[in-house]
Amino acid sequence: MAWLSLAAGAVAGDPGARVPERVTFNRDIRPILAGKCLKCHGPDARERKGRLRLDLAEFATAPAASGNRAVVPGRLAESELYERVTASDDADKMPPPKSGKSLTPGEIELLKAWVEQGASYEPHWSFAPPVRPRVPTVKDHAWPRNPIDAFILQRLEAEGIAPAPEADRATLIRRLSLDLVGLPPTIAQVDAFLADRRPDAYERLVESLLDSPRHGERWARPWLDAARYADSDGYEKDKQRQVSFYRDWVIRALNHDLPYDQFIIEQIAGDLLANPSQDQVVATGFLRNSMINEEGGADPEQFRMEAMFDRMDCVGKGVLGLTIQCAQCHDHKYDPIKQDDYYRMLACLNNSHEANIAVYTPEELRRRGEITSEIARIETELTHRSPDWAERMADWERRMKGETAEWTVIRPEYEEESAGGEKYHLMDDGSLLAGGYAPTKHTLVLRARTTLRSLAAIRLELLTDPDLPRGGPGRSIKGTGAVTELRVEAQPPDGRGQPIAMKFAGATADVNPPETPLDPIHDDRSHRKRVTGPVAMAIDGKDETAWGIDVGPGQRNQPRKAVFTLDKPLAWKGGALLTIHLVQNHGGWNSDDNQNLNLGRFRFSVTGQVGVVADPLPAPARSALATPRDRRTPAQARLLFSSFRTTVPEWRDANQRIEKLWHDYPEGTTQLVLAERERLRPTSVLSRGDFLKPTKPVERGVPDFLNPAPSGAMDRLGFARWLVDRRSPTTARSIVNRVWQGYFGTGIVSTSEDLGVQCEPPSHPELLDWLAVEFMDGGWSLKRLHRLITTSAVYRQSSHASDGLLERDPYNRLLARGARFRLDAELIRDVALAASGLLDDRLGGPSAYPAAPAFLFQPPTSYGPKVWNEATGRDRYRRALYTFRYRSVPYPALQAFDAPNGDFACVRRQRSNSPLQALVTLNEPIFLECAQALGERVIREGGSCDQDRLAFAFRVCLSRPPAAEEVRTIMELLNRETRRLSVSGHGPGPLADSPRTAAWIVVARVLLNLDEAITRE
Amino acid sequence: MNCQDHWHRGRDPRAINRRWFLEQCGVGLGSLALGEILREQGHASSPADPLAPRATHHAPKAKRVLFLFMAGAPSHLELFDHKPQLTRFNGTPPPAELIKDYRAAFIKPSAKLLGPKFRFARHGQSGAEVSELLPHLARVVDDVAIVKGMTTDAFNHAPAQILMSTGSQIFGRPSLGAWTCYGMGSESRDLPAFVVFSTGKKGPSGGGSNWGNGFLPSVYQGVQFRSSGDPVLYLSNPPGIDGELQHDSLEAVNTLNRIHQSVINDPEIATRIRSFEMAYRMQASAPEAMDLSREPAHVRALYGAKPGESSFANTCLLARRLLERGVRFVQIFHESWDQHGNLTHDIKENCRDTDQACAALVTDLKQRGMLEDTLIVWGGEFGRTPMVEGGGDDGRDHHPNAFTMWLAGGGVKAGVTFGESDDLGFQVVRDRVHIHDLHATILHLLGFDHTRLTYRFQGRDFRLTDVSGEVVRGLIA
Repeated sequence: MAWLSLAAGAVAGDPGARVPERVTFNRDIRPILAGKCLKCHGPDARERKGRLRLDLAEFATAPAASGNRAVVPGRLAESELYERVTASDDADKMPPPKSGKSLTPGEIELLKAWVEQGASYEPHWSFAPPVRPRVPTVKDHAWPRNPIDAFILQRLEAEGIAPAPEADRATLIRRLSLDLVGLPPTIAQVDAFLADRRPDAYERLVESLLDSPRHGERWARPWLDAARYADSDGYEKDKQRQVSFYRDWVIRALNHDLPYDQFIIEQIAGDLLANPSQDQVVATGFLRNSMINEEGGADPEQFRMEAMFDRMDCVGKGVLGLTIQCAQCHDHKYDPIKQDDYYRMLACLNNSHEANIAVYTPEELRRRGEITSEIARIETELTHRSPDWAERMADWERRMKGETAEWTVIRPEYEEESAGGEKYHLMDDGSLLAGGYAPTKHTLVLRARTTLRSLAAIRLELLTDPDLPRGGPGRSIKGTGAVTELRVEAQPPDGRGQPIAMKFAGATADVNPPETPLDPIHDDRSHRKRVTGPVAMAIDGKDETAWGIDVGPGQRNQPRKAVFTLDKPLAWKGGALLTIHLVQNHGGWNSDDNQNLNLGRFRFSVTGQVGVVADPLPAPARSALATPRDRRTPAQARLLFSSFRTTVPEWRDANQRIEKLWHDYPEGTTQLVLAERERLRPTSVLSRGDFLKPTKPVERGVPDFLNPAPSGAMDRLGFARWLVDRRSPTTARSIVNRVWQGYFGTGIVSTSEDLGVQCEPPSHPELLDWLAVEFMDGGWSLKRLHRLITTSAVYRQSSHASDGLLERDPYNRLLARGARFRLDAELIRDVALAASGLLDDRLGGPSAYPAAPAFLFQPPTSYGPKVWNEATGRDRYRRALYTFRYRSVPYPALQAFDAPNGDFACVRRQRSNSPLQALVTLNEPIFLECAQALGERVIREGGSCDQDRLAFAFRVCLSRPPAAEEVRTIMELLNRETRRLSVSGHGPGPLADSPRTAAWIVVARVLLNLDEAITRE
Repeated sequence: MNCQDHWHRGRDPRAINRRWFLEQCGVGLGSLALGEILREQGHASSPADPLAPRATHHAPKAKRVLFLFMAGAPSHLELFDHKPQLTRFNGTPPPAELIKDYRAAFIKPSAKLLGPKFRFARHGQSGAEVSELLPHLARVVDDVAIVKGMTTDAFNHAPAQILMSTGSQIFGRPSLGAWTCYGMGSESRDLPAFVVFSTGKKGPSGGGSNWGNGFLPSVYQGVQFRSSGDPVLYLSNPPGIDGELQHDSLEAVNTLNRIHQSVINDPEIATRIRSFEMAYRMQASAPEAMDLSREPAHVRALYGAKPGESSFANTCLLARRLLERGVRFVQIFHESWDQHGNLTHDIKENCRDTDQACAALVTDLKQRGMLEDTLIVWGGEFGRTPMVEGGGDDGRDHHPNAFTMWLAGGGVKAGVTFGESDDLGFQVVRDRVHIHDLHATILHLLGFDHTRLTYRFQGRDFRLTDVSGEVVRGLIA
């Protein structure tokens, strides 16, 4: 039996198998130990029984707790292992019957032979870096087209199986098109290929497809699965997030063939590269694709840690090809990943802000550049026009320096229940940082003690923070917030006596936008006229008005402040106990959506000085002013000048022009990214992964069984470089295996998420190593890898299977035939759109809302009401890659075909075959629209007779003409339906104007529903 | 002979059973033969038909499950767990040692205790204590096991619901329903094995992951049904496609698929043909199963069901109809129990919406002889705090330490009250049942050793109960 080392290993699961002459550890023994023994006798020290460890020779051959040695090489009789696996007494027998595991006679024979042959161990194959193997020599020199084929053929020759003949050209172009660009070829493309008799016609086709911008769309999807991409947060609220810039980055990176090592580095740590471009920062959205729980009462830190675990899982599966999340709670049971290692790796990633930045399209970037240079130009012109500007500015600086009051920051406590489920974290500087749930209306009650003997004014500072949307200072999707009302009560410091409501004489602020109606997103459906405006609105006693800070996209995300002066100073001995009611009622009607207009980070201070006003200088300008002139950066100098110029009366025109420019600043969109923290966040091992149970602190580092850490800091960038180090044993193997999986349906290692000890053994181990080394030597070029695979003979085989071969190799692991498998969910939709001519081929951009049943997005199907503005224009027919993805309400037509919803990293999709899929392709509206459009297209473009039309329809959907039997079947259907729809009292119905068109639509629908239409073969 | 013969013969597609299909359709035999090959080669995880009924580890007492998921988390203190001491200490702070290290979602742990809002009385021969809000359940308590010692690990809705549904707070694990179908297969050839409804004010916090298949094959995923309109998405023929047209089209699809199968010889095509067959049958059988007007008036009255409404009561009656037709697992999410405020009014209303139908299920299944092998599970993702939330003395926060569920039928001991919480309903003091224990017990009733119902994924044998879970013997008849 020559079935060796396929799938489940030599004899696992096959009791009758014979023992090979020479037992090898990795092929024959390791699967047995991993599957049946290592759970109790493996790397996890806490689970270890009898102080016996079998995965490493030094432990297996040492005395265990019993004093006996499990393995004495070459001496079966002395080896306790053999005695125990053959024991008849249940008390002695291994594995213990209650474990539910047992060894087959074949496995026992293997263990016996292994001990007798000297019990040699080998390191797990994937933990040693790949070395380029010799390309095998084969008997048939004619078949191989490149070294891949030699590896495949060597095996086939050993098995005595001949490879399949090459597929016909029509099949090849359809296969290549679906594989490389994810769309079926057009008739013109097929004809051109069929007519191209040049010897390199095939290679030319591969090149042109690799050059197509559609290639990036096709291969972005599997990467986005690994990156657990979704357009919403997940968990209960499952709010929309803006992350399509990341998706576009992936598409572009693949189209430009960004080397895979750089592709990974930018996604893990693009922001830490020198002078990172917007794109490189956007790439870090990769790690930010984790879910976010902002349900009421959720602790942000708990779910930040959940996200960290998710990122580790994603890096493990997606980059390393290892499942590392077991080590979150304990040492890995099978792979040598210790719990400490896990948290050391986590520490490398654990020093980031969960940032959300404004990003701009190329057009917006251009416009932004124009605006800033125009402002700089005007400012320079001002200095040229007024030679004495420097002296006047120095005067102004002196004046401004004098205008500061003494403020004492108060460190408040907040009443939990008043927060309405929002969590506020008290920062070192006395500010509160809001996180978690964001109710659209709540009145936060704060208590603080002041020891000031006289209290004349209260200052509220709104501060920016990288963890807030667009940096804050608010929590709205624009980073804005509003103060509906501020009320303060005072009590004597001993807490006795009735609180006295304090009266304000007035309020000043460094920004006082004009009265503006709320954005539609903040509509609370009360039909009241609700506005934001100058700071006086925070103390006018009206729930409809609020102090707002939105002064347009260019200037809104800055620290702001307001000062509220008491009508008469409070003068109590020993200070006062203050109760502050911060009313934030300007959010919208739905707290389950992005409708809040809350403050994000803010701080209160008090002063006894009378007559103070809010500092008109923005905080950064104030700090620039405090810096001695000769030590200011150019940016600080510019900032100060920009403040100064607004105070010069004769520059009114220029100031107005600049204001207008700011007004035109592009709004941009946002993207979740990482931003490095200034102060290192400590990381500890967490007992059983519980964020409340840190045990011991760990330094940043990596496990020592993989490649060594690079020199230099193990920050995110160091970690990223470590991941794609040339010496990494699994990184290159993991990605080439997944690319292979994309072409053959199954990876060389079928468990593509796990190349660790428990993985399925590779079907062609040497080929995997050869590909990995070739990939790295070729500059980590993915396109080169695609080219290599698609131009091989093994790829070009026909997928027809003989009965004998089907029986012998049902899963096609030997690759004696071409692979045939159902297309991924998105491509099934894309094929229908392309065939019908409806496909909208714009590349990139925000996610689209194609047709979907509205009730899905409303309670009680959805937790909260969700936005789904069904597209009526071109967006309706975008490639399915661009379909908006809510995690909690997956798009049904994609879900039915196994598209993952992004809850966690997925590197291997399932490929099911279910009746619900049939209902989708038959009855779902977009599929029906495709059938309609295709039916009409066939009549319009398909020729003048039905035979021609049918050939056209076949070629559009399947890239081949119909066979005679197929023509008969379809013609019968066409004529029957035409007749039926023509009889009086019936009519064509809503499908079409005429019975004939309707009948062609029926035919189109049949073709789009064929197995062949949704399959690459 | 072709696979569409029954259409020509005017036979009801629902009457076409699996045996007929295999006998009459050569393709079916092909795929069956392949399945044999795979099994012989040790690929037991990929049989030809992943939904074929399968033998369990031991004889199952429950053959199907109805999980009434009271999402949002009902207050055990108002419904089942009578605490006179809580009345006595109403308005006083909880003992300090009790709330040490206690984390709450919204309130300060030191918030004052709040006495129960409703009266309790003992019912039936078992003398089970039930609140006045559940008069219908009170009449069937002798058929029910009330579990007062429930405890969970999470106190936010989404993670706690996911834990209840999948045995893990981490999203992406297979749900209880998926595991059940993975283990047992389906007894229905034309309805999904695992059906899910949502009847509350909103959908469950955990969304679709509550009925996900995780890493199990996706055929085990729960299929969302609606009690009004199209029960399954895209079930109805679209406008312009009448029954005959659909029939003719499917016949053409299958004929062409068979022609191609004869050329390419891929067993997947045979499966595709079968999927289209089953979809066609489902188009007829699902609306029939969902037609409440076929129920006699007295049965509808028993549930309080009114055809045309999308109510919890209607859904319960539909669930029974589906279970009768071989659906393995029905889960109804009724998300409306999150009473942070307005407790008195809202919980009363919730009970009015649900009590009668829940009790009717017990009565109805029993009188049909189905209760003995149908397991009913009722409960939410956690309980509510004995401490008050809100100024109006009328709300409770999330509480994971102790809460109540009830089980009935399917081999569960009838007429018992199992487990006990302390005098304040804060901690379990006797017969604690963790979610993992509940899962182990449910799987046991379904015929499984929960440690052996595993699936290899990412190099590890995963199971519903992860690394814990004990079968609760005291709940088994």
